[in-house]
Amino acid sequence: MNLLVVDELSKRFGGVAAVNGVSFEVREGEILGLIGPNGSGKTTVLNMLSGFLPPDAGRITMDGRDVTRMPPAGLAQAGILRMFQMTRVFTRTSAFDNLLTAGMARGLSEAESTRRAQSLVEELTLGPVQHLDAGQLSGGQRKLLEFGMCFIEAPRVAMLDEPFAAVHPVMREVMAKFIRARHEQGATFLLVSHDMPIVVDLCQRAVCMNAGRVIATGGVHEVLRDHQVIEAYLGETHEGDEPPTLEVST
Amino acid sequence: MKAGPASLWRDRLAFDARAAVLLCAVLAALPLVITGPYAQGIILVSMYFAILSLAWNALAGYTGQFSLAPAAFAMLGGYTTALLDFYWHVPLVLAIPAAVVSTALLGLVLGKLVLNLSGPYLSLTTLAFAEIARVVIGNSHEFTRGDQGMHVATLTESRLAYYYIFLAALVLVLAVLYFMLRGRLGRFMTAVRDDAIGAESRGIDVVRVKMIVFCTSCAICGLAGSLYGTFSQLVSPELGLLQQTGLVLAMVVIGGMGSLTGSVVGALLVYLGSEWLRELGNVQVIVFALLVILFARWVPGGLWSAAVARIGRKQA
Amino acid sequence: MLRLSLDLLANGLIYGCFYALMAVGLAMIFGVLKIVNFAHGEFFMIGAYTYVLVALNFSVSPWLALPCAAIGGAALGWIVERLLMRPLYAGYASWGFMKDEYAVVVTFGLSLLLVNLVDKVVGPYSYKGPALIETSRFALGPVMLTGQKAIATVVAVFIMIALALFLKKSVWGKQIQAVAQNRLGASLAGIDATRTTSLIFAISGMLAALSGALLAPLVNPSPDVGSFPAIKSYVIVVLGGMGSVWGAMIAALIVGVSEAFFSVYGSYDYRDAFGLAILVLVLLLRPQGLLGQKGRDV
Repeated sequence: MNLLVVDELSKRFGGVAAVNGVSFEVREGEILGLIGPNGSGKTTVLNMLSGFLPPDAGRITMDGRDVTRMPPAGLAQAGILRMFQMTRVFTRTSAFDNLLTAGMARGLSEAESTRRAQSLVEELTLGPVQHLDAGQLSGGQRKLLEFGMCFIEAPRVAMLDEPFAAVHPVMREVMAKFIRARHEQGATFLLVSHDMPIVVDLCQRAVCMNAGRVIATGGVHEVLRDHQVIEAYLGETHEGDEPPTLEVST
Repeated sequence: MKAGPASLWRDRLAFDARAAVLLCAVLAALPLVITGPYAQGIILVSMYFAILSLAWNALAGYTGQFSLAPAAFAMLGGYTTALLDFYWHVPLVLAIPAAVVSTALLGLVLGKLVLNLSGPYLSLTTLAFAEIARVVIGNSHEFTRGDQGMHVATLTESRLAYYYIFLAALVLVLAVLYFMLRGRLGRFMTAVRDDAIGAESRGIDVVRVKMIVFCTSCAICGLAGSLYGTFSQLVSPELGLLQQTGLVLAMVVIGGMGSLTGSVVGALLVYLGSEWLRELGNVQVIVFALLVILFARWVPGGLWSAAVARIGRKQA
Repeated sequence: MLRLSLDLLANGLIYGCFYALMAVGLAMIFGVLKIVNFAHGEFFMIGAYTYVLVALNFSVSPWLALPCAAIGGAALGWIVERLLMRPLYAGYASWGFMKDEYAVVVTFGLSLLLVNLVDKVVGPYSYKGPALIETSRFALGPVMLTGQKAIATVVAVFIMIALALFLKKSVWGKQIQAVAQNRLGASLAGIDATRTTSLIFAISGMLAALSGALLAPLVNPSPDVGSFPAIKSYVIVVLGGMGSVWGAMIAALIVGVSEAFFSVYGSYDYRDAFGLAILVLVLLLRPQGLLGQKGRDV
């Protein structure tokens, strides 16, 4: 079942088409990888999906509803949550309060938010730092906190923007575990990442973009073996070369 | 480090509220000890500033909107009451609430103007707004008697009665702000302050939060200005001088931007200090401007955070 | 009618040059630190006072007093940056993450401090500044000028050209541009970003002080003489595009001329409110000004 449908999304900046007729769907209960080299337009797509950039053309539909021009707050209420590449937490309140605020922002009562925040703190191993101001947390801890804020009330779609970039391997494991656990419970993810092993590990399907267009869609292994995708990442191949691969054995 | 799963925000607020109640109780009892009308007058005026400080702290300290217009709104509130009284002889019972309403509406306008602005742009625009208001009022001789100011009726001739009127207003404002901060709005305010974009992406209606806080803050300033006008029986454009806003800034920065009690304490200290310094030789603005700079640079949480840290260390 | 208009135009352009001198420094500071210096008017005032007091008390030629004012302004700018502006970019967490607001509070406080300090130390009365040239009115074509105005304008234009050349050609000037565009990148490339920022503050202070010194004979400085020029500077910098030096120069001329016309054809009393209204309008309708950059990062 298609949860989020993106249809011919386009955006120009000045004379450049950063996103040019991009279409794909996110199916309920899947982890979809959105990959592509730098500058391919992934972040612009994400910004449009999260309401921070109005598209020049195209439609975004969620659960059948047209949400193309909805502002970020409305999208969040509708269940489209986003995590940022540079973590955005409320720096001058405690980590625990961050979770509470996130829960109450989604409509939960303070009591319910508190309950859920307590269990999230445990799950995300943030116990020792929960009373520190979020600004004092390490980068990895902040990412985990953002996860918590995203999931304190189950989102319809969680869009993750390079969540594993520059994260300690131990944290990475905690995050991956978290994603898998939620996925098993039926959560849907859109994962933008450069980290191929993680993409292969977590995603079932993938969409690859290059220069503002979609160049491949399908099962994650298929996409990573697609000729065009490999070229986009690694440059052109020549006859007789050992065929390169984007999949790294883990 | 505090143990237990309790929310730190709630605790901080509760502690703050208890301190505020204590402070108000002290203020209520003070006239028993301080009986001279001059001294009572000084504390009274510092309560006026305390109300302005609370209003500005709500907008700037808690919501991150560094408006430079609080004094201007006090002036606008004062003039609303004065004009209603002078031209239409509206009784003060109506003219004072009218000031609250008018400044609330103007606050809404200003809030709308600066919605998409941040940082220096916001400060500049509010500064422009404040100065335009002051210049317009100062130059409208036919309506407002310009720089000379206007006479205003008074609620009572008794200074002591006015002392308690201001105290009641202070308590009212503290109560209003406390209840605002305690619920969802308070959390959303600080969220907007810390990261407006992040707040939006989590579902917080940032526009609504900003408008509510602007409206409330400006209305509180209007109330203070209106009451002050009836107390001194005079309103003039001097109420809205940038220097007055500077004083309010100093009070909040020195007192501590993260708490309600801090603002009141800051107002009391700065105003009482300034009266004392005035006698020493008119150096009060110099001293407080210097203190603002020193505090902002080296003790950013103000006296409140220093005191809290001290108490925290004692408990640990 | 034409005579009056030409006169207004000439005066507007002349004042525009002075405004430009003052606004450019503010534009530079914004370009690098992304803050507004609310004490900018006080650099103007310090320059004016330095000029007047040096010329009067040490009986030197006004032409010597000018560089004194310049040095005074530069020194003050340097000191302010060193003592107070570090938290903005030195990785401090002192105000947590509210750097813009820190700048507002600190520079606002500084402004009040300087005004009242001068008021206390020198006195609240205004001084008559000695003119650079004792020529009285003369006619230049259809326009009447005083010697002071003419000479001061020439000096101002000269300084602006020198500044433009400095920024474009000298090593320091290029470093300033680099830091303005990308602080991190510039320091990675080996440029001492903090030293450059101090330099920018010093230049900004110097320009504003010179502006004050040149105008001293015309406006008779008093401690709060800097507040109106400061407001004009904000208007100009916003109009020209925050951070754009060229934008500031052009906007300064525009503001100078429109102010001249408005004060005669509009209302003299409200001419300052007029400037402020422009500021509000620009911020609302075209916040990037004429030549500035627009941006909303996520």
